[in-house]
Amino acid sequence: MLESIIAYGLAMGAIYALIGITYNVMFTASRVFSFTAGMLGMLGGVLGALFIRKLGLPVIAGLVLVLAAGAAIGVITEIVTVRPVLKSLDQHLYVLSTLAFALLIQQFTAIEWSTEPQPFPRLLDIGPGVFDQQFWLPLAACFATIVGLELLYRRTLVGRAFLAIAEDNYAARALGLPEQRLRMASYALAGMIGVLAGFAGGEVLLAFFANAPMLNFYGFVPVALGGMGSNRGAVIGGFALGLFQQAANFLVGGIFASVAVFVVFILVLLARPEGFGGARAARRV
Amino acid sequence: MTDTRLATTAVPVGENPPRVAARLEALWPYLAIGAAAVALPLTGDTYWGIIATRACIYWILVAGLNLVVGFAGQIAIGWVALLTLGAYTASVLTAGTATPALPPFAALIVAGVAGAIFGLVVGLPALRLRTFYFAMTTLGFATIVTQIALAWQSVTGGGIGVPGPEFPGWFSTPWGFYYLCLALAAICTWMTANIAASRFGRSLIAVRDAEVAAEAFGIFRPTLLLTVFLFSGAVAGVAGGMFASLQSYITPDAFTFDLSVLFFIAILIGGRGSIIGPMLGTIILTVLPEFAAPLVAWSTFLYAALLLLIVLLIPGGIADLIDFKNRRPLERHREIAPRPEMIGPLIGHTAAAKSLTLENIALSFGGVRAIDGLDLEVRPGEVHGLIGPNGSGKTTTLNVISGYYAPDHGALRLGGDTLAPGGAHLRAGRRIARTFQTPRLIGAASVLENVMIGGTIDGHASFAESLLTLPRHRRDERVLRDAAMATLTAVGLEPLAGVRADRLQHSELRFMEIARALMLRPDFLMLDEPAAGLSAEEIKRLGTLIVAITRAGPGVLLVEHHADLIFDICDHVTVLNLGKILAAGTPSEIRSHREVVSAYLGA
Amino acid sequence: MPMTRRRMIAGSAFAAGALQAGFVRRAIAADAEPIRVGFLPALTGPSSSTGIAINRGMAMGVEEINAAGGVGGRKIDLITRDTQSDPTKAVNAATELTRREKAHVIFGPVNSGESLAATPLIARDGIPQLDPCWVDSLTDPKKYPLAFRNAPTNHQIGGAANRYVLEVMKVKKIAVIGDTTGYGTSSVDTYVGMLNDAKADVVYHSTIDAANPDLKPEILRMQSAGAEVIMPWSVNAGFLSRIINTRSDMKWDVAVVGQTTLGSGQTKALLTKPENWEKVYANNFRNCSYDASGKLPARTAAFVEKLKTAKVEMGDTLLWWIAMGYDAAHLIADTVKATGSAPDQIAGHWASLKAWPGVYGDLTWGPEQRNGFPDEEVVMVQANSFDSGAFKLAPGYGA
Repeated sequence: MLESIIAYGLAMGAIYALIGITYNVMFTASRVFSFTAGMLGMLGGVLGALFIRKLGLPVIAGLVLVLAAGAAIGVITEIVTVRPVLKSLDQHLYVLSTLAFALLIQQFTAIEWSTEPQPFPRLLDIGPGVFDQQFWLPLAACFATIVGLELLYRRTLVGRAFLAIAEDNYAARALGLPEQRLRMASYALAGMIGVLAGFAGGEVLLAFFANAPMLNFYGFVPVALGGMGSNRGAVIGGFALGLFQQAANFLVGGIFASVAVFVVFILVLLARPEGFGGARAARRV
Repeated sequence: MTDTRLATTAVPVGENPPRVAARLEALWPYLAIGAAAVALPLTGDTYWGIIATRACIYWILVAGLNLVVGFAGQIAIGWVALLTLGAYTASVLTAGTATPALPPFAALIVAGVAGAIFGLVVGLPALRLRTFYFAMTTLGFATIVTQIALAWQSVTGGGIGVPGPEFPGWFSTPWGFYYLCLALAAICTWMTANIAASRFGRSLIAVRDAEVAAEAFGIFRPTLLLTVFLFSGAVAGVAGGMFASLQSYITPDAFTFDLSVLFFIAILIGGRGSIIGPMLGTIILTVLPEFAAPLVAWSTFLYAALLLLIVLLIPGGIADLIDFKNRRPLERHREIAPRPEMIGPLIGHTAAAKSLTLENIALSFGGVRAIDGLDLEVRPGEVHGLIGPNGSGKTTTLNVISGYYAPDHGALRLGGDTLAPGGAHLRAGRRIARTFQTPRLIGAASVLENVMIGGTIDGHASFAESLLTLPRHRRDERVLRDAAMATLTAVGLEPLAGVRADRLQHSELRFMEIARALMLRPDFLMLDEPAAGLSAEEIKRLGTLIVAITRAGPGVLLVEHHADLIFDICDHVTVLNLGKILAAGTPSEIRSHREVVSAYLGA
Repeated sequence: MPMTRRRMIAGSAFAAGALQAGFVRRAIAADAEPIRVGFLPALTGPSSSTGIAINRGMAMGVEEINAAGGVGGRKIDLITRDTQSDPTKAVNAATELTRREKAHVIFGPVNSGESLAATPLIARDGIPQLDPCWVDSLTDPKKYPLAFRNAPTNHQIGGAANRYVLEVMKVKKIAVIGDTTGYGTSSVDTYVGMLNDAKADVVYHSTIDAANPDLKPEILRMQSAGAEVIMPWSVNAGFLSRIINTRSDMKWDVAVVGQTTLGSGQTKALLTKPENWEKVYANNFRNCSYDASGKLPARTAAFVEKLKTAKVEMGDTLLWWIAMGYDAAHLIADTVKATGSAPDQIAGHWASLKAWPGVYGDLTWGPEQRNGFPDEEVVMVQANSFDSGAFKLAPGYGA
């Protein structure tokens, strides 16, 4: 039983962590929390099943196409739902525009793809029992993403430009950094990370349109607990959440597990609204 | 935009007949819809009766939620949780599965109470959490409630569900039930419209759009938010009970996320700060899918598309679309003509002879010493100028006096009383008013409504009294409106009283902020760079106005960069540099002070 | 006296029909007007597999009848409204069919949650209803005098499965698991009760959220409790497939005996290995099953030929769903031909119907009996013997 908890817990945790990172990448690029993170995860699974299982493409080709689709949707998100409302003084509008866009994609998927969970193809034929690839693929994807982001932010010029516009928007623009293009690129990157989460986790989650709201919420918990913009916090939070959820599933059963997760989430947030890794809100006057 | 159209037809004080016309102009959409709704049974079509009943029930919930989302600006997406709670409470109580069976109307009341309590619980995180975080917690609540309904089989019937309440006598016929729902919907409309046209409605919008300013005028966000969550929850609970009755049998799968989305989107499509907008939104979203069978499957997709279009193209929603009054062009060359002679009677009392003193105030932000040992005394009846280079701590000083920051050490005194170091919302009660460096106003509200915010703490009516538009509420409103019009006239902005604040020029906004501050009949008025962006002529008029204010009794603390204005009207001047006092004295002393000239004024 | 929303006059169905003066008037004048049949399947949404399949049969049946000239010159007007698996849409649609479209008879809804909400309203409007749902409380000669069930009840279904486990397999320790829908919870409750009455040892019983991706904890609990058979009750193919897959992953060699969807094409598609489908037995119906020699009963075989000719898809669903839809169309046509299309006529005919020969089953109702499906026609079949929507009988049944 313990191996099951750990295997499933880490796998789900990795997926949640990746969605959390998706939120963070979008947030650091635009100071906007987008409702599209869960939708991207869902699409990773659905498009993966579509390309590989329905259309019969080889796994690698399917992965590449899925990543491309994720990047494209990320860019569309930025252009349609984020850029127009950043200019407005009304802070709340981005919540609505990203929510509306996420709902559109979700409903479209439900109607055109299916309202029932569809099977996701078996990607590799490795692993017995708890070492089956369906459990460690999400972990591998998470690890690869973290390493990739580290290299990007620390070693490449583009990555450092990302960090610059996140740190101090005005200064970065004053230095001549193309803020708009960098933001688009960030959203494309977030799009790819989001669909990767869904793709790597497809065998565990299946290709199901209702994964979107589920991932939206459970992917947000690591961000809230780990601190906005903190990828390290998102990873730790994600794994903690995955393990806690599976342990609760085993010990008390499904319904009370989600109640337990939610109660813990609310209590932690009320005690520390900025999360464990975040900074307290700065001067507001 | 708010629905206080009664208040926004710039009617000069004392003229009564046009008020009636104004009232009718505001009421006609409600009357038209109401008439159509009452006449519906004449068509004999009970299918449309069911749809209309459903729209009424949804509107009951949305009317309450409107105060939370549209007025308070909280992103409460998961409100279906309260519908579920209300539905199950009413059904379980009438079915008698957990308690002895109650009569349906009693069960409905209990459902309302349960909704109120749960509304409070769901709303509590809003006091601590940011927008997006709070939205997520409401989604979490929605899931939890459905899970509990599924799990608690012995009471809720689990997946099989329970029969809904059945109302007695005529109310159990299709049209009888429809009229019951219609009556409840009408009552909710009336109540929420009353709140909208009260200081609570204005305060909610102030908290939404200009939170910092709201605090300065005594509006305490936590109590206000909790009150509307309580009310909204109660109303949603009642709606839930009616919903269960309409369905005749409820199971957890009837309370879908789609329904939550419908409620939320109806408000946004209708327009925030409006009553008629969300009402139209609810009706449209309920009725739309019934017009074509294929539309039903795509309904949530269409709602989302509508929402996206509204957000991108008409953020103000339907309410904005039908706001014809605010499309009328304004006069191009407007002048602000204050009437200083009106200030005296406006302020009304002579301030008690107490000074506002700061003793050795120090405040650091991280490693930066923003204020480093500041002593200041503002005496009643005097204009005290506070000048200095940028970053010298002028605005920070005002913010400490306002109570936004607690100083690291030092004391703040009003006469003999020590003022609490933090506690920004308590300053208004002490009759300390201020304006802001960048005007902080409610763009969507009219100039008159913005100014009325200043008089919020002088209202006596409670939330319940405003809800039911009892005499004390009506008196409050009348007094407040008259005072606001008088203040606007004094400040020279009365022709613009009914205009949306975001259509005003920058200089007019500065005078509007002063009018708002004067509504407090302050003992002390703090002005933060009021001359910034004004023309030379306007600065002169501003000066005359400030002097007139001090003649009437209050002391004024004037933070400014315009040296001419400072030296013209100030009785005392304090110069700050790097958080410390560089010099203090009369204007002539300061003008020739060597260090001041070199650090700030220039040769 | 005003007509209340739900309270019906206790007693005969005729009285209810007579109060609907308008319908009586219409019945007298109804010579060439079409027979309006209201149909409430869930064609989209989470529980749509049943509705989609029944719709295929219903549509084909209606088309067949109309092509042959209708019923005494009257065509059948099939008015379909997708309930989207949502009880609120079911209520709206039911009212539209009874009030706006003035349907003569309603078939559906096909999901329990929707039917629980819609049935009282259809009854209030005095329209005869053919209900294919299994939830026991949906038929009641006193509350809903015009509602007749053309399918088995939960009781009958569970009874057949329990009988197979106890009497044919001769097993003692039983694990019962359901999902958290209306169907799942009521089934688990009822069947555990029936097993206890039969003095069986129910070592595990629970309801789980069907969307839960990991059922290993539950299967492990069953195993440690010593269960010798797993009995799942859910219409959710994902849920059922996960139970089957987990059992095989754990290499636990017990039979899975339960809900009919265990054998559906959708469940098959979600299995990780085809071998996982061994020793899985699902509810099904004798008329739609292959006997030991691999043959369908004659009536069914002829029906399958018709489906093939009409190119109706069978491989991704269950034959009995399609058959039930087809039967519904013909039952309505036969009834109208025999008595006419007024509510009291239809209901009166059904209340005395004996052994109406359907492809799916022979229906018998009575004045106090609204459940028309015979006990002995509910059987267990082998899930992995799926062929064109039908299955082989499970081992151990006498011919």
